[in-house]
Amino acid sequence: MKKVFLVLWAVMLAGGCATLSGSVQSAVTRAKDKVAPALVHIRPVKEIYARGKREEVPVVGSGFVISTDGYVVTNEHVAGDSKFVRCVLFNKEEVDAEVVGTDPYTDIAVLKLKSLPKGIPAVKLGSSARLKAGESVLALGSPHGLSRSVSMGIVSVTDRYLEDRDDEMRSPFNTWIQTDAAINPGNSGGPLVNLRGEVIGINSRMLAGAENVGFAIPIDAAKEVVAQIRAHGRVERSWIGEVLQPMRVKTDDPASKGVVIADVDPLSPGYDAGLRPGDVMLSIDGHPVNARFEEDLPPVRKAIADLPIGAEVTIRVLRGEEELDVKVKTAERSQLRGDQHEFTEWAFTAVDLTENVVRKAQLPSKKGILITGSQVGGIAANARLQNGDIVLKVDGEEIENLAAFEKIYRTLLATRKRLIMLEVKRGALSRFVLIKQDGEEGGAPPPMEPAPADAVGGTDHVE
Amino acid sequence: MSSSVLALMTVVAQFMPADGFTQATIAKAYAEWAPAVALVQYSSEITDPGSGETTKRDSSALGLVVTPGGLVMAPGHMQLENAEPFNVAITVGHGGSERKFEAEVLKKPDDINICFLRIQSDTPLNLPCATFARNMRLSIGEPVLLIGLYSENLDYARGIYTCRIGGILEKPRTTYCIDSTLRFGFVGGPVINAQGRLVGVVGFDLTPAEGGDLYVRSGHPLVYQADLFRKYIETPPDKTAEGGPGGEDAWLGIFTQPLYDDFAEYWNIPKEGGIVVSSVMAGSPAEKAGLKAGDVIVSINSVGVHPRLDREVVGFTKLVREIGVGQTVPLRVLREGKPLDLEITLAARPKSARDAGEYKDEVFGLTVRELTTDVRILLNLGEDVKGVIIRRVKSGSIANLAGMRPGVVIMELGRNPIATLDDFKKAVTKLVEEKPKEVSAFCRVGAETGFFRLEPRWDAMKR
Repeated sequence: MKKVFLVLWAVMLAGGCATLSGSVQSAVTRAKDKVAPALVHIRPVKEIYARGKREEVPVVGSGFVISTDGYVVTNEHVAGDSKFVRCVLFNKEEVDAEVVGTDPYTDIAVLKLKSLPKGIPAVKLGSSARLKAGESVLALGSPHGLSRSVSMGIVSVTDRYLEDRDDEMRSPFNTWIQTDAAINPGNSGGPLVNLRGEVIGINSRMLAGAENVGFAIPIDAAKEVVAQIRAHGRVERSWIGEVLQPMRVKTDDPASKGVVIADVDPLSPGYDAGLRPGDVMLSIDGHPVNARFEEDLPPVRKAIADLPIGAEVTIRVLRGEEELDVKVKTAERSQLRGDQHEFTEWAFTAVDLTENVVRKAQLPSKKGILITGSQVGGIAANARLQNGDIVLKVDGEEIENLAAFEKIYRTLLATRKRLIMLEVKRGALSRFVLIKQDGEEGGAPPPMEPAPADAVGGTDHVE
Repeated sequence: MSSSVLALMTVVAQFMPADGFTQATIAKAYAEWAPAVALVQYSSEITDPGSGETTKRDSSALGLVVTPGGLVMAPGHMQLENAEPFNVAITVGHGGSERKFEAEVLKKPDDINICFLRIQSDTPLNLPCATFARNMRLSIGEPVLLIGLYSENLDYARGIYTCRIGGILEKPRTTYCIDSTLRFGFVGGPVINAQGRLVGVVGFDLTPAEGGDLYVRSGHPLVYQADLFRKYIETPPDKTAEGGPGGEDAWLGIFTQPLYDDFAEYWNIPKEGGIVVSSVMAGSPAEKAGLKAGDVIVSINSVGVHPRLDREVVGFTKLVREIGVGQTVPLRVLREGKPLDLEITLAARPKSARDAGEYKDEVFGLTVRELTTDVRILLNLGEDVKGVIIRRVKSGSIANLAGMRPGVVIMELGRNPIATLDDFKKAVTKLVEEKPKEVSAFCRVGAETGFFRLEPRWDAMKR
């Protein structure tokens, strides 16, 4: 039995060697040589908010130089929320970089090197549009922090759809290149390269527990985002509040046209304009939209996101047997995640409410703040304020947002008011939380042990 | 030599009380009450609350015969939210005089973790049974005897051992803790005091009425004194009836917090104040009476309420329950510090998930339940959400293949709106007649709505 396997393995090895001999071998080396000098080993110090306080955690990722004036592309989950980014270039020289901008919706970040030593070229960006499954590709980067690594594989699937998740790592606007080129934590932000030496994707995710199931952002989707970040520091998108499903959830009839509107955020322009769950969206301003399969959804979502913000658009929907036009004025899509803030005196962290949070908590409006953590022994934790609580009122006054709360908070600190009543929502229930400011020496409570390194992101993030 | 030692030991046993009991009193208690101890054998179907997968298991427990006609008490863990007992058999007698009966499971009381079973017999029975003393109190250090069952390996022989009352909790209701570790075959067994009187049974779990979430394990064996369950022996629960003995429980429809001293200080009201209303449920008697979140209830039906601890709030719940459904009573509250007199007409507590109607459909492989108020609160579903909630999905079924899972609320099935179990049954019947190729189900998953497409295998079903 054992022998059979060994024999089989030997044959495969022989086969493998045969395919890599000659011209293919030299093509691999050439492609690698073209990209490797532009490869960047990235070591940001990220700010994370865990257990009620802000902490700084060093992480390791990859990136690549895209222009000779020193722009570098990497993942948002590598360089986002960093105070400080140190880059190690292919010649082992270390250069600091600033974060030009990030886009959590596509997981892309753009950095600018503070100086670019001579002899560091920019990569050539290829196109992911004509990519074929089976094509040989190379993944370059720093798996597990091991810089200047190259691995090889093929494109497994060109348009993998990855379902949105509730919190981080959403990718509503693009499908993914799936590859079996080995991708490990640390490869994140590194280039996926074809044998012509062109970057065709950004390695970003892997399937934890699987063997060589990695995912890269198609470079065509990335190019647009990078251009917007370089021009404006961020990406603006339109929002009407729709949640889409492919036609297949209703029917497998290939003749069916349109996209299913699965849900409409009750606090959205789409809902106000009369869009309802169950409607089938047929066209936007006369341009037909179709999504029979889930892989067809990202382009439709992107078409909506690309509409001018504040413009009135006509959406034709099929409701029952009737076709009707709904005029919607688009709004700006909010950030995927609100900015975190630490309130050291009360020893908690909080964030602005996003549409997603409001939706999940089923709040009547976007007013309030979300508590993301409270330190054991701190003023907030002593009042039993905890992660997931939504603070709606302070001393009977509605809180508009985090900035408004911070203003009230500063006043409360200055006046040293002893008792402060918060009205808090959690799930379906509300309760009163009484903050007691006395008995504290004014300083922060004793420091907690640092968060473990894996506090950044989930298991299937690739750093 | 050895015989003289033995003789001496016998003397000691006779005249020196063994932990407060003489051998004679132990033997007497055993002779009197051990015959009432029975063996309950049953199978249960356990549903994993996450996946909805069910497994079946055979178990045994101690039964205590409490009426000559065959009412039997058993530990409450036989009958939990996710475990349905069936094939229940009770063996009365031991050592050659066994008689085995089938038994039915009665509705479980909601204020104590005990099950009631009724032996099925064609002829009238006159079984040895346990008779509990009235108004018994136990004191710290008081010795008690416990009777229970040894394991299957020891042929379920009856056993007796001595221990003492090691602790007493006075609130919210008197709970006695036993000073020894738990012996599993003794849970549910009789507890006998120094006078040889039967005072209660061994319990293990705190009920919600004692501040537990849902039968929180106390970690220690307890005495459930007879006064807590006597009402169920006198008026056994019905097999199917709604509500406990004495009909339906009355209900206000509020969530409350105790009025801590700091809260009283903040609101500038007397510390002996009352109970804080934190949430008022839509459509509840409280809402109709004009009660608002932030009101402090001082008295109901002219009885003052002033709980000081979280779990003392239970006393208030009990007070309300005992006023009775349909009664209109005065309610005095403090609103913004000023007294306000309201009148409230109590309604019946809405059905809980445990009493919810369930329907097992064989076509799609779904077991669905009606939406009850407790589930609405748990899942943050407003009263406007109509539908039935999936409890189980049969593995390999049409619903399973469509990706449906427990917790999903079905709001529409094949364009038939679903508000009740009956609507669901009718929709399934209609679909069976129409035999459509595809059935679309409009559902709610968490805060979001969406569709599932079911593909019934009508041909396979005929066979």
